[in-house]
Amino acid sequence: MNLSSTASTLYPGLRRAGRGFVLGFYRLGETAQFYVKTITSIGDAFTHYRVELVRLIAVMGLGTGALAVIGGTVVIVGFLTLTTGALIAVQGYNQFASVGVEALTGFASAYFNVRVLAPLTAGIALAATIGAGATAQLGAMRINEEIDALEVIGIRSISYLASTRVVAGVIVLVPLYCVAVLMAFLAARFGTTAIYNQSTGVYDHYFNTFLNPTDLFWSFAVALIMAMVIMLVHTYYGYTASGGPAGVGEAVGRAVRTSLVSAAVTILFISLAIYGQSGNFNLSG
Amino acid sequence: MGLSSQRVELPAVIRSLTASKPIRGIGGFFAMTLDTLAAIPRKPFAWREFLLQSWFVARVSLLPTLLLAVPFTVLIVFTFNVLLLEFGAADYSGTGAAYGSVTQVGPVVTVLVVAGAGATAMCADLGARTIREELDALRVMGVNPIQTLVVPRVLAATFVAVMLSSVVILVGIIGGFLFSVFVQHVTPGAFASQLTLITGLADVVTSLIKAALFGLAAGLIACYKGISVGGGPAGVGNAVNETVVFTFVALFAINILVTSVGVQATI
Repeated sequence: MNLSSTASTLYPGLRRAGRGFVLGFYRLGETAQFYVKTITSIGDAFTHYRVELVRLIAVMGLGTGALAVIGGTVVIVGFLTLTTGALIAVQGYNQFASVGVEALTGFASAYFNVRVLAPLTAGIALAATIGAGATAQLGAMRINEEIDALEVIGIRSISYLASTRVVAGVIVLVPLYCVAVLMAFLAARFGTTAIYNQSTGVYDHYFNTFLNPTDLFWSFAVALIMAMVIMLVHTYYGYTASGGPAGVGEAVGRAVRTSLVSAAVTILFISLAIYGQSGNFNLSG
Repeated sequence: MGLSSQRVELPAVIRSLTASKPIRGIGGFFAMTLDTLAAIPRKPFAWREFLLQSWFVARVSLLPTLLLAVPFTVLIVFTFNVLLLEFGAADYSGTGAAYGSVTQVGPVVTVLVVAGAGATAMCADLGARTIREELDALRVMGVNPIQTLVVPRVLAATFVAVMLSSVVILVGIIGGFLFSVFVQHVTPGAFASQLTLITGLADVVTSLIKAALFGLAAGLIACYKGISVGGGPAGVGNAVNETVVFTFVALFAINILVTSVGVQATI
């Protein structure tokens, strides 16, 4: 950098922009390196840090602090998907009723909940609860120099802190996603049959006819990949936090922002890959 | 001086109950909300802080909102089009795109980002000031932190949420249009002409009201968590985490309520 150390440089604005671009590019490489290292250390986490892994699974499932008081991650994920399922009842039933086909609300629940709403909502809930929690924890460790201390006493910090959290997040998502999908279905059914007084027989008939087990399987696969992406993003921002207590807060904000965008893009591309060619949907059931 | 700026001493029995903690939190939140609403018309209004905060929230939210709006809408349009192509009614794909982005994607995506990016930063900033006892210093100097710090932040979040949600709706519909026309081969004229089939003025107004309520709730929760931080630097991280969770929960709860009211009003 002997050029920039001179008193006045040629085109300082252009130079600064170029440096900003190079720094951004550098950060991209650093991020990718962190992700690759985290993923390749997963085996290490399973063999060496199994106790920490089990502890994290327990903590993530139940939540900590004020979250545990209101019932933990399960309740929050359940509540969020409950409201999106209820949206199917409110908007679906009323829009279908305006063209006289309100009988198809059960179909809307089986179709939209599985393909769009449940994965998106579960992703949002995951990023907010477990993801943001991981960033806050790791960020606090980083600014207290606990991560450096771990390295000094010979613990591989990426596999001990990041890989274990990614694995634990994916494992915890399995029961959480079951709760999420069930809640979405229940809310749509309850709203349509109990509040809008559709007969349960009609609702169940169309729901069961159009509920496609293959779709459910893919929905699960989408949710698992999304969980992995979200946890990777959140551990990265926590692991590299800086700037004191306020810096940790800002890192949480940046992580939530990035992980929501990457989760939405992931779901979109996987959905296009799965349903893009055929749509995997037949009106005849 | 407002309610929340006075420390009300509770009997030791109530303080020791862990079960009373969330209830005290809710009580504190309502007290601060009332203080904030009462302080909004009071002069002098902190214009400078309001403009700075609005600019800040808009700056950190704009790009992520647009990045989030496009995949959300395209996903909904794609899923809807699979259905419509099966029915042989692909001409109606504009209807789904408009209804989806105006009633849900616009306000929800905006506030997910305003809560995730703006509210977290507000909470972190206020939290850091609280643990450095800057707010107490303000109170000592006779400056009401609710009026000078909380009111402009809450109003800025509300204002930016409304402004951004219009942009998001527009970008969402354009994204849906490009995707439907160039990827799924829907006729462009049909897409455009069916946009307003079931989405009318009432839906747009409901959507903007929704965005305003979301922004208000996100700002209030962020400021409450920020000024009630305890437990040092680690407490700030936890407060930010709780801000994200509580704003998302409040957002989804408000969404279903306002949607039901809006549907009743429009149909």
